[in-house]
Amino acid sequence: MDRIIEIKDLKKEYKMGKVTVPALNGVDIEIYEGEFLAIMGPSGSGKSTLMHIIGCLDTASSGTYFFNNEEVSKIKKRKLAVIRNEQVGFVFQTFNLLPHLNIQKNVELPLTYAGYSKKKRVALARKVLDEVGLSDRLKHKPSELSGGQRQRVAIARALVNSPSVILADEPTGNLDTASGSDILTIFSDLNYKGNTIIIVTHDPAVAKRANRVIKIVDGLIQNGDIS
Amino acid sequence: MAISLKESIIVGLSDFWSRKIRSLVTIVGIVLGTMSIIVVLSLVKGINKKTLEWMMERGGLSKISVYRNWNYEKQVDVKNYFTLKEINLIRSLVPEAKYFNPQIREGVHYSYGENKYRGSIYGVIPDFKKIEEWDVEAGRFISGFDIKQNSDVIVIGTNVKEELFGNKKAVGQFITAGKRRVQIIGVMSHRFMDNSGNIGNDNALAYLNRRAFVPLSTMIHKGTGRDRINSFTVKAKDAESAPELRQKLEAIILNLRFGEPVFTIESAQEEAEKMAENAKKFRIIFFLISAISLLVGGIVIMNIMLASIQERTREIGIRLTVGARRIDIFVQFLVQTILVTTIGGILGIVSGLSILDIVSKYLNIKLIAGFSMMIIAITVSAGIGFIFGISPAIKASKLDPVVALRHE
Repeated sequence: MDRIIEIKDLKKEYKMGKVTVPALNGVDIEIYEGEFLAIMGPSGSGKSTLMHIIGCLDTASSGTYFFNNEEVSKIKKRKLAVIRNEQVGFVFQTFNLLPHLNIQKNVELPLTYAGYSKKKRVALARKVLDEVGLSDRLKHKPSELSGGQRQRVAIARALVNSPSVILADEPTGNLDTASGSDILTIFSDLNYKGNTIIIVTHDPAVAKRANRVIKIVDGLIQNGDIS
Repeated sequence: MAISLKESIIVGLSDFWSRKIRSLVTIVGIVLGTMSIIVVLSLVKGINKKTLEWMMERGGLSKISVYRNWNYEKQVDVKNYFTLKEINLIRSLVPEAKYFNPQIREGVHYSYGENKYRGSIYGVIPDFKKIEEWDVEAGRFISGFDIKQNSDVIVIGTNVKEELFGNKKAVGQFITAGKRRVQIIGVMSHRFMDNSGNIGNDNALAYLNRRAFVPLSTMIHKGTGRDRINSFTVKAKDAESAPELRQKLEAIILNLRFGEPVFTIESAQEEAEKMAENAKKFRIIFFLISAISLLVGGIVIMNIMLASIQERTREIGIRLTVGARRIDIFVQFLVQTILVTTIGGILGIVSGLSILDIVSKYLNIKLIAGFSMMIIAITVSAGIGFIFGISPAIKASKLDPVVALRHE
């Protein structure tokens, strides 16, 4: 399997006034294509920070990070937007859908920034919404959907531009058990079809679905390869 | 890879629409500002057109008028009229003048049988009708022969004819003007200029129809009996040469009156130029006043956009997450501000045009809207959006995606 992500001695510090707070203290990870990886850790452990850096939403203070053999730490911010758009799909605990757009438009959003034509955007958005079972809700606003449905919209949006990795941050955190289980099944199916999935969670039930679990405590990886 | 301008406009429009009330409140300043631009520019244009029409009706831009300066307080003993000898001298000194008409005015009672009428009678020469561009509708005007012969003839205005003869034929009839019996040889054509909306007569030129004309020589030798000419009018060969001729006449007349400004010498062309100059100043001043209201509108919009960005921080975070570049966010918010102010501008133009009639009635001046002022209003309002949209757009584009996503 090809290595998608390679992180070495990654550190991240936040400045809060005059105090520097360390979030990541030298993380080493390698992630391969087709993996279903869970990053586990208690709150404040640095797992979300790690996910933001992996997803190119944030940059590291030091260390090296290769994404598809490209050193991200050396890429200009403008180019990071392209990576976020083309290579990464995000799924968040709070869904993060735009409330005033209908779900089809929400799913089209990454394609809009990718410069796709209207026709192509609509076709692709409908296709992925169909895959997550929402083809009958295209014109609904997010507020008209249940939590589980909203998360499926978010997954569709993450998938629509065929990214290399899907990053999910506590994707079941706001859902009841049944909906959460449905969402995890979707992730499993996507992984089965070959998608690389990284889930950040503190829930062991979520981690059980993954084929590899990394534990992070106080900004450090505790074990590299629990399968 | 980028969000297109069209996309930005669509996003901006849907934002505008989904926040209707706020959007409308935002643009009130712009609407009022552009509205006042439209009204003021239409007003200036209306005044200009009216005045120019008036000048054209009164003999055009090549006309020069010389009449007594009523502001002059007599310092030394100088005549406030011209003698025939002086008139002949002045005429000989301005051979370039195309027409030259000295005149004497007198108030007089007319009667024809039982009908009586009081009006002004003017002693003129044939050049009069050329200078005023005004001819008879019946009979003929005063001729050179009439001048030579001091003929007892008269040409009357339509109003005089109406009062004395009603519908009957006037040419050829004899009437009494003052104490003299004169024969009507012509009736001047009816003069009319729309004055609706203004105070007074519906016809701005009604006073001309109340006049009557006799040969200047008859007036001097048989009428007043005095060689006193109150005023004269001159026509230059064209409007462009009129100011120069005016200066020359002024020099000649000042020379004849020992440098005393006993007479006013006025060129229609120069008046028109002065008017254009004044209109320009007027326009600039009012434009600046409108601009202040637009600036205030712009500041309001900037504040609302800043607040809106605060409110939409999470949305910006989401957009950045799915691949929007900073420039996309910048363009989105800038386009939106420009869109809001341009919509304001359009509403301002529409409301400005719709109140023109009301303002017109209130001010008694016809307002004239033009296409160019609409372009100006749109450009200015879009420009306001651009200027005041930059700062909020920069603020939006500089948001950190992680921080923006955490925003509640």
